[in-house]
Amino acid sequence: MNSLWIFPGQGGQNAGMLQNVDKTLRGHVEDLLGLKLLDTDSAYQDSVQLQVGIELLQVAQVNAMQAAGLKPHLVAGHSLGVFAAAYAIGSLAQDDLFRVVKRRAELMQGAYPQGYGMGVVVGLSRAEVEALVAQVNRPEHPVYASNQNAEDQTALSGELAAIDQVVTLAKANGAVLARRLKVPVPSHSPLMAKVGTQLAAAMADVTLQKPAGIYLTNYSGRAVRQVAPVREDLSNNLAHPVYFEAMMGVAHDYEPDSIVNFSPGRPFRKVLGQKFGDLHQVNLDQMSVSDAAFLLTKWERGTY
Amino acid sequence: MEKMHFNYAATQPIERPVHIGVVASGDLEVIMKPTDKKESELNIVTGSDGFKEVWQNVLNRFFDRYPLLADFEINDFGATPGVVNLRLTQAMEALKDEQ
Amino acid sequence: MSEERDWATHREAKANKLSAMSSTIDGKFAKTSDAKAILEGLIAPGDKVVLEGDNQKQATFLSKTLASVDPAKVHDLHMIMSSISRPEHLDIFEDGIASKMDFSFAGPQSTRVSQMIADGTLKVGDIHTYLELYARLYIDLIPNVVLVAADKVDRDGNLYTGYNTEETPVIVESAAFHDGIVIVQANEVVDKLPRVDIPADWVDVIIPADEPYQLEPLFTRDPQNITELQILMAMMAIRGIYEKHNVQSVNHGVGFNTAAIELLLPTYGEQLGLKGKIVPNWEVNPTPTLIPAIESGWVQSIHSFGGEVGMEKYIAARPDVFFVGKDGTMRSNRAFGQMAGQYALDMFVGSTLQIDQYGNSSTVTNGRLSGFGGAPNMGSNPTGRRHSTPAWQSLRPDNDPLGKGQKLVVQMVETFGSNKRPVFVDSLDAVEVRKEAKLQNVPIMIYSEDTTHIVTEEGIAYLYKTSSMAERQAAIEAIAGVTPVGLRSDPAVVKDLRARGIVAFPEDLGVNRNQATRSLLAAQNMEDLVKWSKGLYNPPAKFRSWS
Repeated sequence: MNSLWIFPGQGGQNAGMLQNVDKTLRGHVEDLLGLKLLDTDSAYQDSVQLQVGIELLQVAQVNAMQAAGLKPHLVAGHSLGVFAAAYAIGSLAQDDLFRVVKRRAELMQGAYPQGYGMGVVVGLSRAEVEALVAQVNRPEHPVYASNQNAEDQTALSGELAAIDQVVTLAKANGAVLARRLKVPVPSHSPLMAKVGTQLAAAMADVTLQKPAGIYLTNYSGRAVRQVAPVREDLSNNLAHPVYFEAMMGVAHDYEPDSIVNFSPGRPFRKVLGQKFGDLHQVNLDQMSVSDAAFLLTKWERGTY
Repeated sequence: MEKMHFNYAATQPIERPVHIGVVASGDLEVIMKPTDKKESELNIVTGSDGFKEVWQNVLNRFFDRYPLLADFEINDFGATPGVVNLRLTQAMEALKDEQ
Repeated sequence: MSEERDWATHREAKANKLSAMSSTIDGKFAKTSDAKAILEGLIAPGDKVVLEGDNQKQATFLSKTLASVDPAKVHDLHMIMSSISRPEHLDIFEDGIASKMDFSFAGPQSTRVSQMIADGTLKVGDIHTYLELYARLYIDLIPNVVLVAADKVDRDGNLYTGYNTEETPVIVESAAFHDGIVIVQANEVVDKLPRVDIPADWVDVIIPADEPYQLEPLFTRDPQNITELQILMAMMAIRGIYEKHNVQSVNHGVGFNTAAIELLLPTYGEQLGLKGKIVPNWEVNPTPTLIPAIESGWVQSIHSFGGEVGMEKYIAARPDVFFVGKDGTMRSNRAFGQMAGQYALDMFVGSTLQIDQYGNSSTVTNGRLSGFGGAPNMGSNPTGRRHSTPAWQSLRPDNDPLGKGQKLVVQMVETFGSNKRPVFVDSLDAVEVRKEAKLQNVPIMIYSEDTTHIVTEEGIAYLYKTSSMAERQAAIEAIAGVTPVGLRSDPAVVKDLRARGIVAFPEDLGVNRNQATRSLLAAQNMEDLVKWSKGLYNPPAKFRSWS
């Protein structure tokens, strides 16, 4: 089975998303981390509740898929999703995952209390966006081109006032759309370098195994089979753009025969359509694992 | 959802209405009606926002080549410039066919 | 007295290697489970190795085995491959087994190839057309070892390569007659072959594979996906080029534009009264969309570079048209097909991803180095050609007493690509890619000077008629839509170009845009193609949506 498993980051969460998560697993995680997952809208304003909640949801789905006899050949996490991706491909152990994610959330919560965030520009190439960013970016008002989610979709990260300036320039220069995103942290930019260093230190005693397949890195958009780049991605992806479009491009070279989209949300519909056409896909945000498992097995046998 | 309005100087009045194209993703409908006005008037409704400049370019090119005087109503569902050109020129041809 | 030079060093080295492995090789046959040991024993560090790597056929068992060898024993290989198609073709570079690559095509691995060149993990000798690469196998890229795939093998070691012979003969010959080692993976060992494609004398080691070699249906296009724009362009091409120049022999580059032309011959071509008058002779893979034209009597002969999955029974039942052996199965040959495509065709019709303001085209875009394959070969004017045909002669310039004809090279593109980005650009992405990939020259697929016609949804530019680069650019601008190039078009100039026949819009050709509907296609879906073939065509699973 040559399947690509994709794990989104923050953005698609909703209150009640944990209701079908295996109770034993949830209890174990709450004990392990010494916290109670509230699964409410107001709880998801808190970074730890949000990040641990999303990863719990994804890990539970991975476990259910594995119990159904399914495994990935390629994994791609987006931002926070890299942890579940590393887990699914056999590199990161379950308990390590939750401890590290909690620490990541705590570090991120304190990093940029106010005045910073992210934006998005649609309809210009990355080179064009970088040229506009270069016009605005200054040490006192930093802004960077960050995540590349599709060929014509570039995120911005930095100080909100600087982001607003780039947004204005983008609209004047032919962007189809340009605006702020509801993200309160300048993720995936050099402004997060310190968090990356701290997280790497926190991960120093975490053992990683060689991926049992292909792991696609956020920080370089590469397909890797070794531990070192996986470790770099987990600890440091916050300081680098998520080169998601490149990840999907190189994943395409492996000719997967199916794509499994893990919860929460369906953020990658456009770029997956562009790269993979009508390749078989299942969406665990809308379909139970058992239904997904049925379809994937049917497709592998080559029957429709 | 975006609504656009354009006017074009035109010299070739049309004698009857014509309806070309389909309501489908990647396509568009063009409805042309005879007009008493001295200019062609175009009303465009599109689901793809932010492409006003592209529409301007497509229409400039069309009217340079085929200065049809009419009222145009266009309903667009994300057609590429090539498909827009196809439907406009098909409408132009449909009028010629019966003249 | 100086010592006598030893003139048989290669022969001796080969004999030593094979005799060192004699315990694992019985006659020519090795066991599947000994494959890794065979490769480690017969391939030396630094060897030039051809791995099949064809456009369609992949010696998968051998490539996976090669990727599993111990880099301490086998390293720094210089790989020579027609097509970089599979992940392990690149894994061997990451894992220190290979260090240099000379190739032609990398479409299926274009992203990873770009990344590995940028990262320095993949060092490229150069990128070639297929024919250039085969030619160098006999000059300065003479292989030490070739790893190829065969369908069937008999007990003496003769090979049957059948429909998908592709470039196996040209690869094997280059090793067999210069003391290279020929290692073959075989799907099956049989008592009697349908016919001998490659004689046992040319073969050193045969390893039964653990699974059949990979074969992709790359030339099959579902008619359901053909758009009205492509139908309009196909109508213009048939009327404004095939008919106008009296084209008798053609190669269709793979794609939906050419599939549309093939499916319009029995309908639109028939309306124009062209049956029996144009394109009896083809060099093209046996693409299913040609079935209606064949059945309707348009086609006299088809020679192919390779086979096409699902077409086997149909081909076997039409030996008057295809190149079929006495045994009833087809034989293909990419080297001869490329040679024929170069010298024996009136016309090449293809498509591309980008065309610049001068008419140069490229399929190389940022981050995706797809290489050349056969297109520059098919899509170029062979100055070495001497024989004349009406179509070739029709392009002869009027004003040159020593002039001669030219091959028709037609590029068919919509002005905007499926990603909604302009196809016509001021400068090709390939210019940047040359720097990124550290290439000597910009990787242009087809040069402006070789491009005789461009067809877009707006019309045809007859570039061969232009008498200056400025005029050539104006002709392109006239049909380049609202791309940055097209926006420079001057209506007065366009009027003049149309009057002189350098640019033609559909109405200038008598082509009715309202006729460009899917009902004009002789077959509208895969099921129709099966019906046309009287049930002989067997579409691969991925194209079956009804059964």
